[in-house]
Amino acid sequence: MNLPSHITPPPRRRPATASNRTPIYAIVGNPNCGKTTLFNALTGLRQKVGNYPGVTVEKKIGTTWSQHGLPIQIIDLPGAYSLAARSPDEAVLRDVLLGRRDDTPQPDRIICVVDAANLERNLYLVHQILDLGRPLIIALNMMDMAVGAGVKVDAAELENELGIPVIPCEAVRGRGLVELKLAMSRSELPLARHRWDVPAPVAPAVAELQAALTESDQRSPLIARAEALLLLTDFDTVRVAGSKPLSNRTHAILAGWRQRWTSEGTDWSAALIRTRYAAIGHLCRNVLRRPALQGPSLSDRIDAVLCHSVWGWAVFGVIMAALFFSIFSLAEAPMDFIDGRVAALAAWVKATMSPGDLRDLLTDGVIGGVGGVLIFLPQILILFFFVGLLESTGYMARAAFIMDRPMSKVGLNGRSFIPLLGSYACAIPGIMATRTIENAKDRLVTILVAPLMSCSARLPVYLLMIATLLPGDRLAATTKAGLMILMYALGTGGVFFFAWLFKRTIVRSTPQDMIMELPAYQPPRFKEIFRHMIERGWLFLKNAGTIILAISIVLWALTTYPKHPDPAATPTEQIAHSFAGQAGHLIEPVIKPLGFDWRIGIGLITSFAAREVFVSSMGVIFGVEGADDDTTPLRDALRHARWPAGAPLFTPLVCIVLMVYYVFAMQCMSTVAVVKRETNSWRWPLFQIFYMTGTAWLVCFVLYQTGRALGY
Amino acid sequence: MPTSSSNLSPLCQLPAGGKARVCKLTGDESFCQRVREMGFGEAALVTKISGTSTSLCLVNGTRIALNHRAAMNILVELLPGNAC
Repeated sequence: MNLPSHITPPPRRRPATASNRTPIYAIVGNPNCGKTTLFNALTGLRQKVGNYPGVTVEKKIGTTWSQHGLPIQIIDLPGAYSLAARSPDEAVLRDVLLGRRDDTPQPDRIICVVDAANLERNLYLVHQILDLGRPLIIALNMMDMAVGAGVKVDAAELENELGIPVIPCEAVRGRGLVELKLAMSRSELPLARHRWDVPAPVAPAVAELQAALTESDQRSPLIARAEALLLLTDFDTVRVAGSKPLSNRTHAILAGWRQRWTSEGTDWSAALIRTRYAAIGHLCRNVLRRPALQGPSLSDRIDAVLCHSVWGWAVFGVIMAALFFSIFSLAEAPMDFIDGRVAALAAWVKATMSPGDLRDLLTDGVIGGVGGVLIFLPQILILFFFVGLLESTGYMARAAFIMDRPMSKVGLNGRSFIPLLGSYACAIPGIMATRTIENAKDRLVTILVAPLMSCSARLPVYLLMIATLLPGDRLAATTKAGLMILMYALGTGGVFFFAWLFKRTIVRSTPQDMIMELPAYQPPRFKEIFRHMIERGWLFLKNAGTIILAISIVLWALTTYPKHPDPAATPTEQIAHSFAGQAGHLIEPVIKPLGFDWRIGIGLITSFAAREVFVSSMGVIFGVEGADDDTTPLRDALRHARWPAGAPLFTPLVCIVLMVYYVFAMQCMSTVAVVKRETNSWRWPLFQIFYMTGTAWLVCFVLYQTGRALGY
Repeated sequence: MPTSSSNLSPLCQLPAGGKARVCKLTGDESFCQRVREMGFGEAALVTKISGTSTSLCLVNGTRIALNHRAAMNILVELLPGNAC
């Protein structure tokens, strides 16, 4: 029977999922709640997993399948404690959920991942999301850790209270995933029984803002109410690229209410948060049981040592030393193996093919260039294994805690240390991780100095120079590791110096408060670590197979053509006559005061694409010179390189100066592009190239000239 | 029951192992809001695990690290029966 519309209760509107469209789920949650692990488990997508705040710095999309075999799209959103954004990362989460972004569809449904051991704190974000009125599933993750901490969570009671699916799970072990997928596969999800009273002094403002958002900003009534509540606690109103601006009417209403409350002395933000926590406390009264007496947990006992003002530093030092020592000692055998295979392949090609440019291209260009970089794969894998281990166990966040004090001396805080530590592996994820830094000026300074941390791409250059400097097995791995640590220390020192300088000159700001959660220690998840290692190794190989291969071929051509008019010209004469030789000669006057000749100059030019290309460039350049003997290791070729007057080119001093050059110089196009994207301007990447490469030249000039004056 | 300001001390001065109740937040609005949202607001019970320049605390089962400046902005009332 059809009733008149005025007596029919309005249907409970639920964002319709058209049958011909793949439903979109968003995964949200606090940092460290296991959100990314759950995303991986559901989608099978490979993604970096760590347990320090802010590991997910980008929106990730994956696909899973429902119980009926239909595709479900999942967006993995950055972790946040609240929808009131304090950083660009959190702003992305807020804007996607509110439908403020044109580049991302508003999710049809939301999976809220909740750490069962910290239920009340995690429910704060859930409470805000419930305001949105979207279909929601709660994944009650880390149930095992809650049980271990003596916390009892009644999932059935929570489901009963809220009226939405609550699925207990352990994403790390894959427990609860079937139940979660069953819930996700439901064609209809109930909307939550979510009632809470907005504090009386704030209620009229919420109503007025809701009306403005509905009428002037075209929001649905439920979204408008949730957004109105957020705007009242969104002091800085962090906007990121792609976020739709609000109407003038909404801005005017907001400003009016804020002015009124400020003059009355009403703390509306505190009142809203208090009321939410009171509602959460009420919700949890029959859901959560904590042990009456809580002694120090295992994590507390470990922290008493690892965060100690003396022992903490000692352990930190030992871990860092172990990392660098392992890079040398453990990688030796696999490196020798790769070296042997590459040399054998080059010898086989040389023996099989008839002499000519094509054979030289394959042996000197392709095999020599790519093989010279491939050899460093074991070291890069070891570096990523350690980084993964530190993240997986929870130590990375402690490192930030320990480093807060020295960081504060240069005007930053411990939060900046996590991106910087990540930059040891690669500056690009490090720079992207700065999105978790709330203060814009601190973030900019961290971006500017992050590429000074010695990334894995510098490793091949350092290793080649150390091998040239200290050939053979005469010296212990500890001496080589000591030199390597020195280079890393120099880069780290540069980070502190320039951060201090920038905070006092071009990016002045007052020191910021730092407050961050330290996750509980966990046994390392080797599966995730190895998956991450393979990902990074594959990226490295892909790089070697594409960019480095292309550069090697181009470089070979540039060193081979134009042909010397005299067919009897020596390889040195040929390369000097080539295009590459001409370019190297062009910059030689600038780099000669550093002890570098035009051949090193070619390496400096080509390695602007990526630092490790320097090694392949040297392989190609000196491979041409020593083409008669393919099996001669590159380091020996470098040791025999001479200036025209006969003096050795790669003296110990030049090897050290070259390493120092790579410590400071901005030699990475990808980093420049990422800095441009993150700062939304060419001003800062250009400044970065100028200050880093300028510093490199100046430091190397002083070092080389001083060394020469002292007789080295 | 309201607490006299003279009984309050910054969180950084709480000895390791000491238990206290958060009574007042100072500092800018943004900081106060974030602290409250993390469950560290007024009336929260806090146990100091370690630290002087940087404090490590336990609040509602969560370990939270604060730098000296942040810990100075959280005023607490020492609860009786603490090791001082």
